[in-house]
Amino acid sequence: MAFYEVYSHPAEIRYKTSVCTKATLFLVVVLCLSYIAPLLVAYRSQGFWIKRSTYEEQPVVRFQYQTLLVAATSTQGHYVAWSTFPHLNNMLGANLRIPAVSVREEDLNQDGKLDLLIFQLQLPLKPDEQVYSIQLLLTFSYQLFRMSTVVMQSLAFVQHSSPVPGAKLFVSGDLRLQQKTPLPHRGLYNIYNVSVIDGSSPLASSYDLNNIIRSYQERNLTTVLSCPMPVWTVGRAAGSPFELNAEIRYPMEVISYRPGFWETIKFAWIQYVSILLIFLWVFERIQRFVFQNQVLTTVPIPVGKPHLS
Amino acid sequence: MAVFSAARSLLSFACFFLSVITFSSNQNTTSSVLTTGATAEQNFTFIPTDYSTGFGSTSPTPSGPLKPRVPAEPLPVSGFLPIPQTSADRLCPCDELPGVCDMNCCCDRECTEEVVLFTSCSISAVRSGSEQLCSRNAAHYSLRTTIDGYSELQSAFQEEANYDIFCIQSHNSMDGLSLPSPALPYENSFDSLYKQFSIFGFGADSSDEVPFADVQTSPGYQYGDVLETAEPIGLRGRFCLPTPGVTADCVNNNPAVFLQDLSSGCSQRVVLDQDCSSLPALSMNTYTNIQLFAGKNADAVVVPMGVVSVILQSSGDAQTVSDGENLLPVLLGPTLCVNVVLKVVYVIRYNSAGELVNASVSLVLGFVLRAAVMLKQEFQVMYIKDDGGEVAVQFSGNPGYVVGLPIVSGKRTTDRITRSVELGDTMSLLHVSAEDQDCLLGPHQRSPVLFGLDSVSGCTLRLEDVTNCSLVSQLLLEVLRGPDYPLDVASFGNSPLDNPLDWVQIKTTISPTDAQSCSIPLSRHLEIEWTKYGALVNPQAQIVSIKEVIRTNSSSLVLLSGGSSILPIRSSMAFVPVSAAARPGYRATPSINATLPFDFFFPFV
Repeated sequence: MAFYEVYSHPAEIRYKTSVCTKATLFLVVVLCLSYIAPLLVAYRSQGFWIKRSTYEEQPVVRFQYQTLLVAATSTQGHYVAWSTFPHLNNMLGANLRIPAVSVREEDLNQDGKLDLLIFQLQLPLKPDEQVYSIQLLLTFSYQLFRMSTVVMQSLAFVQHSSPVPGAKLFVSGDLRLQQKTPLPHRGLYNIYNVSVIDGSSPLASSYDLNNIIRSYQERNLTTVLSCPMPVWTVGRAAGSPFELNAEIRYPMEVISYRPGFWETIKFAWIQYVSILLIFLWVFERIQRFVFQNQVLTTVPIPVGKPHLS
Repeated sequence: MAVFSAARSLLSFACFFLSVITFSSNQNTTSSVLTTGATAEQNFTFIPTDYSTGFGSTSPTPSGPLKPRVPAEPLPVSGFLPIPQTSADRLCPCDELPGVCDMNCCCDRECTEEVVLFTSCSISAVRSGSEQLCSRNAAHYSLRTTIDGYSELQSAFQEEANYDIFCIQSHNSMDGLSLPSPALPYENSFDSLYKQFSIFGFGADSSDEVPFADVQTSPGYQYGDVLETAEPIGLRGRFCLPTPGVTADCVNNNPAVFLQDLSSGCSQRVVLDQDCSSLPALSMNTYTNIQLFAGKNADAVVVPMGVVSVILQSSGDAQTVSDGENLLPVLLGPTLCVNVVLKVVYVIRYNSAGELVNASVSLVLGFVLRAAVMLKQEFQVMYIKDDGGEVAVQFSGNPGYVVGLPIVSGKRTTDRITRSVELGDTMSLLHVSAEDQDCLLGPHQRSPVLFGLDSVSGCTLRLEDVTNCSLVSQLLLEVLRGPDYPLDVASFGNSPLDNPLDWVQIKTTISPTDAQSCSIPLSRHLEIEWTKYGALVNPQAQIVSIKEVIRTNSSSLVLLSGGSSILPIRSSMAFVPVSAAARPGYRATPSINATLPFDFFFPFV
């Protein structure tokens, strides 16, 4: 007749000691090690406090219909220019050349956010003029809403030159966001909601591309037109205008931000507790070994036995 | 409401699944050959790209939200919106010409006779409603070739079933699948609608307002105000100062604004035979015949522009002071135009009320030697507070040097230092242009030594010029050091002239010292050691020592040049920071000693 286990239950044994004993000291050391050591392990293995995190969002971009165009029309440095700024147009004098511009912004996936800007410009030229280089500056209103609300004005700059006179320039690229430092995780971030080009200024230096780009690049948050492959088409027919076609997409952006207090604490807590569990298990075993085998002298009191004192 | 996908409970999901299965039994199919009834009901223009989603509403009463909630009439131009069509047999995206048959457009009801000439159907199927619906209308068009070679149109209208288990069985929510009806503009809602939709646009620039309209309380100018000039007819013009704009070309009508000192160089495009005597930008009268208004108010007095000096510059940068008679540009030959304005310096004095007191101009006139040229012109305007004093001596820092400002240098007399008032007249480096690359052919351009900027330049020495060694050596030293070589450098940017202890003497070492009878200086290197002085939060740069190292040749020049008979002579400049690393004193904030890393308690402290 074989025996089998009918029932089992753990039996609890209390180990008692007074305050000033080795066992008390041992207990304090074990408690400190099991709760502080995981903190040190979690911290020293890097990434305990999350300082930068990312999220994905498609920005709300609107073309601001501000344009500045400079085209070199000879190899001797003659140029024509045009802008949507009346003061600059007045200053240009005989170099002002009014192009025909058509703009369309499209929402391709009908999510309420515009996805594509189609900018077409036809620059009429005199018979002795050819286009050797193009500088085009467009301004955009750029908004992000998911974490911190970002409202800013930004620009896209197209610059292309060729030793061969062109008939067309085709630019198709993405308007990418560039960050130097992470964004805050909440709040309104509108320090760059100022005009990239001060259109109310009558001074020529306000429209100097050096000044515009210098002050723009000092910003933490900028957009840049990423167009690795501009297409320069040669062979313009006499009397036909120079054509500049740009397709600028507003893609989904990965934006980095500084996590807030509770997000930082949440991830730190996950790391701490997961390491703490291991330490608790290990020191529990050590304690059991020490007290069961009476390595440190204590008074074991089994449960069920009435307390005599 | 719509019985839609993603049933939340298992029970409803099962019921839904069953309903779809029973639904997807065969739907009624009607087929006919050549239905050519001409319809005149198509009274709106169809948007081709939106036909699957845009107007595909299957609502039985789509006209509900279109009724105006406001009792007012819509604005006359806006009109009423047409009711979207629903049935697939009415839709025809390729019917672009009303009243005329569109070629290969099989759904065009005007094509009765032309169908026989069709080769294919440009649109073979038209569906109404969304793809998510369980059943929707579809009209299929195809061509069949008859026995005599002509085409015959076959059209079929049927209900198409969607076999997706998450299709929409019935759909009675207007906003769910179709675009919301656009709001019609009424008189009271026009402004808000306009603001909502016309944020940006070509017509919406507000920057063309003239900022002159603001009420000016003070009679004088304020910072940033455009200076006004008196024009002949009694009009008010603007005082202009050419600067570069979007290109390096001069923008001649750039206004000069009050209290903004400006120094600019720009290029003026000149075609001599047309422009020499007619281009206003070349004539000095343009810059001297200016009557400035002292203030902005209407009864401001007129301040005439006084000509202080006119300098004529001949070839080789030799300059002579003219006696001031009117010098207008004259074309002396096909490629020579004289008395062309090269540089204009305005000095404008103002009082504390912002009114102009005095205006003066200095000009440099020169000549143009080419038929067509981009002429470099320099313009400068300075505003000086008229408190009786002369032009203030400019510091290069207060007290420490500021990066980018020239080193202050002077000469030691018995008990004090003398220095030039002009900030440019200081210790300088060679800054040769393309014409004066040869060391011995002067005069050379020089540029001031700017604090903090290491630089190098040089010139070339042709070996056949080295005939008298000691003379060439002396000349080269003069070229490298500059004409008026200072011996003392201020240790601070504002070191007082009467305190020679605050000035540092230049120590010169010539290496190798054991030279032969005569040696040619090959390079001159200035090494300025500077330190940070004062508080940690605002350290001031102080020059502690300055060393001039002149290296001469120790072997023959022919060997050094490598047989090319041209020897480069170098002039260089280096700033060496010698400040000790900062140590926190007892006033520094106490920091946690390095047992814990600084960001251990990052989100808390």
